[in-house]
Amino acid sequence: MNPLTLEGVEFHYPATEAPALRDVSLAVAAGEIVALVGKVGAGASTLLLVAADLAPRITGGRLTGTVRRRARSGIVLPTPWTQLSGMAFTVWDEVAFGPANLGWPGREIARHVERALERLEIAALAERDPATLSGGEVQRVILAGILAMDPDVVLLDEPTAELDPAGARALWRLVRVLAGEGKAIVVATSDLDAVPAVADRVAWLEQGAVRAMGAPDLLAEEATCEAGLGTTVAGVWRAAGLAAPYPLTVADAIQRWR
Amino acid sequence: MALSPALQLDAAGFSYGAVAALSAVSFAVAPGERVALLGRNGAGKSTLVRLVTGLLHPDEGTVRVGDWDTCDYAPEDLARRVGSVFQHADQQLFARTVREDVSFGPRALGYGEREVARRASDALEALALTAHAAQHPYDLPPALRTLAALAGALALEPAVLVLDEPTVGLDRALRAQVAGALHEHVARGAALLVVTHDLGFAAETLDRGIVLDRGHLAYDEPLATLLASAERLKPLGLVPPAVAALSVALELPGLPVREREAAHTLARVAGAQPRP
Ligand SMILES: Nc1ncnc2c1ncn2[C@@H]1O[C@H](COP(=O)(O)OP(=O)(O)OP(=O)(O)O)[C@@H](O)[C@H]1O
Ligand SMILES: [Mg+2]
Repeated sequence: MNPLTLEGVEFHYPATEAPALRDVSLAVAAGEIVALVGKVGAGASTLLLVAADLAPRITGGRLTGTVRRRARSGIVLPTPWTQLSGMAFTVWDEVAFGPANLGWPGREIARHVERALERLEIAALAERDPATLSGGEVQRVILAGILAMDPDVVLLDEPTAELDPAGARALWRLVRVLAGEGKAIVVATSDLDAVPAVADRVAWLEQGAVRAMGAPDLLAEEATCEAGLGTTVAGVWRAAGLAAPYPLTVADAIQRWR
Repeated sequence: MALSPALQLDAAGFSYGAVAALSAVSFAVAPGERVALLGRNGAGKSTLVRLVTGLLHPDEGTVRVGDWDTCDYAPEDLARRVGSVFQHADQQLFARTVREDVSFGPRALGYGEREVARRASDALEALALTAHAAQHPYDLPPALRTLAALAGALALEPAVLVLDEPTVGLDRALRAQVAGALHEHVARGAALLVVTHDLGFAAETLDRGIVLDRGHLAYDEPLATLLASAERLKPLGLVPPAVAALSVALELPGLPVREREAAHTLARVAGAQPRP
């Protein structure tokens, strides 16, 4: 049974006419990573809120269709600094906040917190006050707090937005590791160049609907490039007037060039 | 004769209590220059932005905006010369509509209502936000809120524009919109300092790269040479962006780091006809 299934989902925010999501169906298997791509406002963030049971529960609005979650989910918002609990005076306590709310025994909490701090490379910040961290440090703390709860469904909205480029690479590797551990992962990202190495499947959202779904090669197709949603390498190839199919990554380009 | 700098740091240092965030940082930015400020998480970039906007004063050394020492001015007075967008730009918006928010800065500087209205309209126009002008800032997606904050900074028509992560969550079209607005502003003689982890955007939009490493200035050189140099970037937590990596991998002549230049070079080498 898939940990996350959406069927024919339509969602309206309060007081807006046009639906934010229309007829969206998506099933995510354990161990699978689905990347959501689209222009700003296409619905990727809303889809994650719906999957996390925050919309309409917290946002208000109207949902029709079916959302099935077979397991606990964790979400990292595109504004991670708004996710700080405000109740913790150290990074360690901040990361422990979620697990503690799950009522786990202390040793279990400690084990998960230590591991999450390690994975996000912030063990050195453990004693710091979360209110005084840099932007990327906060994003790492929030990611660690979600992972420490060991959710089976991991929902990530622009998880690398404030990470330095090396940290972003490390996070994408970690996402693959999490999938290897059997988590179902949905990630919305504008870092299209990262998608080929990370995602099993790509869903292209347009005006609230799934316009196309497929392997990451989707990001080298004519229509995707035309919409500004191709990878940079595909875009450069296309702009050079070279023939399709366009290479998706630098590695593909090297092969094509030979 | 060289223009006198729009922004100048001389051996500037700052510590948050026991945390040393910046040490002996020196550089100058001339009017019309477009500078990227890069470095890993916690390197001190936002701290430097706070020094330039006068929210913090250096413990050591000086920070000057034109001929003003920031220590002698309150942030609201520095706003005559410095426009800024902070890292979490959302928290910078407070008016009831986007237009009101963008009007706030010029109004606070004492301009008359006609001038305020002109500046707000120009700034909204430059970022294609006119259609959203009547909306509440918090009804916009986070990406557009960042743009609204940027419009507010542009409306100050400042001599120095300092932006901290202005492209977070933006799609390609919006990034190009931001780049266009910034180029227009710089063409009128402003100095531009942009903090970003988006090295692709930096390559497309900016010319000079300053890299901070644990509060120290590690590099200050043309972005095009810096971004093509994977081995120098690596210890700084940076990775060449896709176009630079492509240029290096295919050994494209001149190692272009901008998409258009790379496409043209690629076409020339391959004997293809680039798209217009
Ligand atoms: N108020 C504060 N109190 C104590 N330390 C702070 C405070 N603000 C920032 N720091 C620390 O100072 C260092 C520099 O922070 P700064 O915000 O300038 O980094 P940054 O380069 O902008 O990082 P990022 O890319 O993550 O935004 C970091 O180690 C940070 O944890
Ligand atoms: Mg910062």
